[in-house]
Amino acid sequence: MTSRWLAWRTIRQHPIRGVLATIGVAFIGALLFDMLMLSHGLVDSFAALLDDAGYDIRVMASDGVSLVRTPMTGATQLAADIARLTEVRAVSVLRIERAMLVEAPDREVLLLGSNAAGSHSGWMLTGGADLPAVSAVGDCPLVIGRHLAVVRRLEPGATVRIRGLARGASALPPVSCRIVGVANFLFATAEDFYVATTLAGVQAITGDASDEADFVFVSSAPGVGAAAAVRAIAPIRPDLHAYSNEDLMEQFNRNSFTYFRQISFVLTSLTLAFAFLLVSTLLTVATNQRLGEIAALRALGVSRRRISAMLLWESALLVTSGGLFALPLGGAIAVWLDRVLREMPGVPERLHFFVFEPRSVVTHLLLLAVTGVFAAAYPIWLAARLPIAPTLRREVVG
Amino acid sequence: MSVPPNPIVDVRGVTRTFDMSAGPVTAVRDVTLTVVAGEYVAISGPSGCGKSTLLHIVGCVDRVSSGTVRFEGRNVAALSESDRSRIRLTRIGFVFQRFFLLPMLTASENIELPQAEAGASIADRRARTRALLDYVGLSHRADHLPSQLSGGEMQRAAIARALANRPALLVADEPTGELDEATGGHVADLFDRVHADGTAILVVTHNPVLASRAGRQLAMKSGSIVS
Repeated sequence: MTSRWLAWRTIRQHPIRGVLATIGVAFIGALLFDMLMLSHGLVDSFAALLDDAGYDIRVMASDGVSLVRTPMTGATQLAADIARLTEVRAVSVLRIERAMLVEAPDREVLLLGSNAAGSHSGWMLTGGADLPAVSAVGDCPLVIGRHLAVVRRLEPGATVRIRGLARGASALPPVSCRIVGVANFLFATAEDFYVATTLAGVQAITGDASDEADFVFVSSAPGVGAAAAVRAIAPIRPDLHAYSNEDLMEQFNRNSFTYFRQISFVLTSLTLAFAFLLVSTLLTVATNQRLGEIAALRALGVSRRRISAMLLWESALLVTSGGLFALPLGGAIAVWLDRVLREMPGVPERLHFFVFEPRSVVTHLLLLAVTGVFAAAYPIWLAARLPIAPTLRREVVG
Repeated sequence: MSVPPNPIVDVRGVTRTFDMSAGPVTAVRDVTLTVVAGEYVAISGPSGCGKSTLLHIVGCVDRVSSGTVRFEGRNVAALSESDRSRIRLTRIGFVFQRFFLLPMLTASENIELPQAEAGASIADRRARTRALLDYVGLSHRADHLPSQLSGGEMQRAAIARALANRPALLVADEPTGELDEATGGHVADLFDRVHADGTAILVVTHNPVLASRAGRQLAMKSGSIVS
């Protein structure tokens, strides 16, 4: 006859109350679980995207990631200088331009130029072959995005005519390019048309032979670490900025993701407050209905500790059962909300707002456990300080 | 006045005053009472005369404003709450007018509860519970919830619960107050049996039949024992 057993029997005695409490905690817990996943989901998902790119350092002209294109000059020399560092294992250059398909002039295409060959940083091949590191002048092998391939029914081996949208220049002549592969571009939205080619291919399409790049991607040498490689890269071109993935995540955390963190913090606090109020109210009402019983138990010699433990267990059982139901419910709600949010324009297809992590489950259960303890505190205090004789007298008179 | 031999509870010059919003109310005034082992004492009196308050003082659930209460020689006022709780658990059995059986437990589980609290082994408390159910004639109702029992059956289960830890003193506050005459008579018979088996009883009652069974009958009026 443990306190837990007595608490369980009490809950069973009032099944409707138990079921309502469990459902209430399950829904509140589901929202709590979702907020916990949201609080770090976007950060984790973005970090995974950066890591999937295969490089741990990005060199760029802007101080942090910028929405405005700020190309670097002398990209080839810069990449060669960086590649000579002992702290560096691999280097590639990425140039970003705008273009359009002659066969689909109403849609802009994002044109990426890379010299990374198979170790590129921006896409994952799903069919065909990857780009070569270099191509002959005038040649423009293409890896196209999956969405473009589906919409335009294109596949490796096909030829498309593509026209660069040069900055401020008049219309450029179209260039025929051969599709060599189809890929998922890491940062593409579901609706974006992406194509990638060699640096020579970009020059052929845009007619711009300048040695520019938007990013230089760097892999640090094994055992060196990104931070040491960043320190080594910095003196090569003091006008540029080198960031490790961790640096970028820190920047995003400080700026872009603060909004989501604040929302999730506020909603997490609210859901915890609702859980506390729900369980505390139910237990307080139940305790008030049982004051006579509790006074009688105390008169029979049942200790305050036992009665307190019984109430604590009652709270714990309600919160735990609700909390466990909350996990699948929260998971289902998260999947639905994630789909809704990812339909927003400009959101990369592979970015997720809600990311499941074991630590979310642990935090969720811990927070609910603490809430359960706090929710039981007032009913326990009520029962523990209950004056036995006046309560028994009141119950009989009442 | 000499102290009777072997007193279980010895109440001397006890007064209990409650601070009410309208002013202090003295419920028990300078009462002296001793209950010895095996004695059967009944206290009667009009409502509000202080019977229940005196019973609560004897049962170690209420404190006194002045005077002393000794339970088996120990000064109750000097005991901690946990010590008084232990005395109530092991040396005193309470029977209430409204039974106060735990509604979520069966009759047998209600009887087991004080034994579990006292630390009895499962085997011991099962055997003791069976014996007590048999003793109060409820063996066939062992697995019934209080809501499935009649008033008389609930009170018999409550008496069995009160006897669970073999108390020296059984205190009962209007044990027949919620029962009809015939059922009250059965409860009175059960009290006779408990007394005959050696347990001291202090009962507060309006029921003249029950009071007449006691070896010593006391009357209270305005907080004092008058006869």
